[in-house]
Amino acid sequence: MHVDALDRIELDDGFVWRPVRRRFGIRAFGVNAYSPGETGQVIEEHTEETFGHEEMYVVLRGRVRFMIDGDEHELGPGQLVVLHDPSLRRSAVAVGGDALVLALGGKPGAPHEVSAWEATFAAIPAARAERWEDAIRIHEEALAERPDDPRLLYNLSCMEARAGRRVDALLHLRRAIELEPKWADYAAADSDFASIRDEPGFPA
Amino acid sequence: MRPRYEILSLDDLERLPATKGSPVLLPLRRTAGFRPFGVNAWLGEKAGDQVIERHAERGGDEELYVVVRGSARFTVGDETVDAPPGTLVHVPPGTVREAVAAEDDTVVLAAGAKAGEAWEPKPWEDFHVAFAYRAAGRVDEARALVRDTLARHPGSWEGEFNAACFEALAGDAAAAFAHLRRAHERAPGEVARFAEEDPDLAPLRGDARWREVFE
Repeated sequence: MHVDALDRIELDDGFVWRPVRRRFGIRAFGVNAYSPGETGQVIEEHTEETFGHEEMYVVLRGRVRFMIDGDEHELGPGQLVVLHDPSLRRSAVAVGGDALVLALGGKPGAPHEVSAWEATFAAIPAARAERWEDAIRIHEEALAERPDDPRLLYNLSCMEARAGRRVDALLHLRRAIELEPKWADYAAADSDFASIRDEPGFPA
Repeated sequence: MRPRYEILSLDDLERLPATKGSPVLLPLRRTAGFRPFGVNAWLGEKAGDQVIERHAERGGDEELYVVVRGSARFTVGDETVDAPPGTLVHVPPGTVREAVAAEDDTVVLAAGAKAGEAWEPKPWEDFHVAFAYRAAGRVDEARALVRDTLARHPGSWEGEFNAACFEALAGDAAAAFAHLRRAHERAPGEVARFAEEDPDLAPLRGDARWREVFE
């Protein structure tokens, strides 16, 4: 299939995620494509410290300005940046109009694991349309493979709270916090939990 | 020690043709020192050149091909598709695939690994480079690379078989037979079958030592 036929999921940060790995069901490595949204952002600012991933960004179309560890590099089609150090802060914006970047990544010396954020990104169109059951299903499918992933559990509980599934939401939120206590702080301020914040047993 | 990050251009990579002329490997993974999985670029210099060799990844790797520029005609299993720039072709392990350049200067990126396993560099990369170096007259570099590869993959019949091909093409029949003998000891069936078909070994087949290995 052509990369332009992939789903276009625009994130709040202004970049557009084109889910390659998920579309083909690739299990062996991470691969996705990105194009600019309204702000021109192509790659969100981030590090790969959480996952320990080494990454490669290949410009397939247009011109893209990468910011890496404070340095700027403007790249065109056929040029690429390889980031060996997961702690490097990286981002990219399109220079001019259209652009397309292929991102490949994985952790050296380890079998590839699908990142939890993919399910969260994939559920965005359903969540925006308030199709909560569809958003819940996407998270449940991801959790079937990674049942103790706190980020997935937390995001699932957000969707369940929005859907009015109070018991499920509380159970999954409590499990997320049990696995990683920082989620209690997020839950305390998260508007997704407005409907269950006053429930007995709300953990935050 | 490698830098923390590197900027590269596919146009700046070495161009390393297969023994029969095409496809041409642009050794991205080696040049970039990329470690999580296999990723390389392949060039079809002229329309009609092979840009992805016919093969099936019977070792279990799934692969994704991305047409970076030019245009290619992919055949995957029984299906043939035209692939302009930006086309993605995903092929599960065991499925025969190949691609031919439909335009001059066609470049295809190929990423691959086996699901559920930590990836390690494969000997074929080193051998592809060694064969190309030999063809370009860089015989000492090529032979050093073959030695290094065999040391990193001890016990591999494929490594010994490729080393036999390399020495046969380089004109060292004694070394070629030594490698071929070791390969045959490790995998008699596969080596006998591949040896009959591989054109690289043609200079050896009339030699009396051929029968000593296989009979």
